[in-house]
Amino acid sequence: MSRKELLLQQSAWMSETDSPVVISSRVRLARNLEEFPFPHGLSQENAAEVEKIISQALGYVKGNDENLHYISLAELNNVEKQVLIEKHLISPSLGGTTSACGVALNSDHRYAVMVNEEDHLRLQVLLPGNQLIESHRLATALDDLLEAKLDFAYRESQGYLTACPTNVGTGLRASVMVHLPGLVITKQVQQVLGAAARLGLAVRGLYGEGSQAFGHIYQISNQITLGKSEEDILTHLDAVTRQIVEHELQARENLRQQMPMLLEDKVWRARGTLQNARLLSSEDAMHLLSHDKLGSDMGILPKTKDCFTTLIVDTRPGCLQYILDRGLDPSQRDEERARLIRSAMCEDRGTIQ
Amino acid sequence: MLCQHCQQKEAIMQLFITENGQTREVYLCETCAKKTQEVSFVFHPAIVPEFLQALFGFNATTKEQPMEMKCPKCGISFSRITQVGKLGCSTCYETFENQLEPLLRRVHGGGQNVGKIPVRRGAEIRSRVEQRKLKETLKNLIEQEAFEEAAIVRDQIRKIEQSTGGEKSES
Repeated sequence: MSRKELLLQQSAWMSETDSPVVISSRVRLARNLEEFPFPHGLSQENAAEVEKIISQALGYVKGNDENLHYISLAELNNVEKQVLIEKHLISPSLGGTTSACGVALNSDHRYAVMVNEEDHLRLQVLLPGNQLIESHRLATALDDLLEAKLDFAYRESQGYLTACPTNVGTGLRASVMVHLPGLVITKQVQQVLGAAARLGLAVRGLYGEGSQAFGHIYQISNQITLGKSEEDILTHLDAVTRQIVEHELQARENLRQQMPMLLEDKVWRARGTLQNARLLSSEDAMHLLSHDKLGSDMGILPKTKDCFTTLIVDTRPGCLQYILDRGLDPSQRDEERARLIRSAMCEDRGTIQ
Repeated sequence: MLCQHCQQKEAIMQLFITENGQTREVYLCETCAKKTQEVSFVFHPAIVPEFLQALFGFNATTKEQPMEMKCPKCGISFSRITQVGKLGCSTCYETFENQLEPLLRRVHGGGQNVGKIPVRRGAEIRSRVEQRKLKETLKNLIEQEAFEEAAIVRDQIRKIEQSTGGEKSES
């Protein structure tokens, strides 16, 4: 598989699921080699050595019964790095690093192992829908395979040692991406997510700066990594997520019962614009796609060819340019984004309920 | 139409507000509409470096552990750690254990690691954890003058020690 083919593969987390609210589940484990300083303190020579040792170890393991492909970021151009960031396979900070770092991916990107980010290793498993437990099972199995080859920094009292003390202990950061248009429209999102924050979870809008949450997509993750077992961390996040899902579904039902016309108008307008617009900014697209997804999930709108997550990601600036295989300035991107969405939206299948 | 909230600017938004099952329409100007928007609670999950620096800097250093104390392995000083918000290497956790303790308590709420123990290299740790538990039991049994049971536990500890060459129970 060529690099382009690998990067253009649809990531597992972007595929459609039965879950109308939880878009994806992610588990990330932070690990470091005992022998070397943490990445920010590595000499160039040592950083290259760490990259070599880890990429070799990754060559031995098989994730999901297939090999992981290691990509050194030094080989990538800016658009390719942007694609990896937009697909949530590397962090923006890794994308900004130039030497001795990379990411190992399997073909459907459920595994993404970052090398020499803030820690020597960041093992990520990203799956569609609410699959926290399964994500953790896969991540732990991969961790065991790597630990057979590598000496990880670990202390009995403090667990896995990480560059930043906010990750020490389990090194586990678990998160879910949730789509909450119902709570936003009914103005309950602050109240519901505020409760999650008070229960020790971190909440943020996934797209957009500061307080804006474009596409009504939020990420909820654990903050504490030391003094709790992996199971406790996951169970807590899972329980709170289920509560949030319940509130979101209730909000949608309230909308349907109390203002059906407003709801129908909102989602049909979104569909109409998406099917006909000739220019769409990234923010506009996300907002409209979010309403369109709400309509599809509630059975008001017929399903479209491509699912929400795929369109959200494919119309981001990096992915759009990579798919079309040419550089685009912002206004050209708006035009191509609208074109790509039109073609996805016009192939409606199914019937209106 | 004027904004129904400030009664000053032109209303540009129509909002539907549901309270106690009743929905009402409100027309607001851009400024007032923004004020009613959600997400004031949203914050970033990774504690930003500056915040972390403040947490580090908050820790009082002592005579024995001044800011310029350095990690013997990577050479980073504690003052440098407070600047970058990151430790230099895994040995730093041992070197700066006392300075780190209050920070870890603040971030994680206190408590020791109870998570995964590495499969390959953790065998020794697992037996040490086991030994520690048995020693605790032994101590309690001796205090209770339950010498017969204590003898059994002592033998168990010796058995583990012989197989691992671990800590001496007399220590």
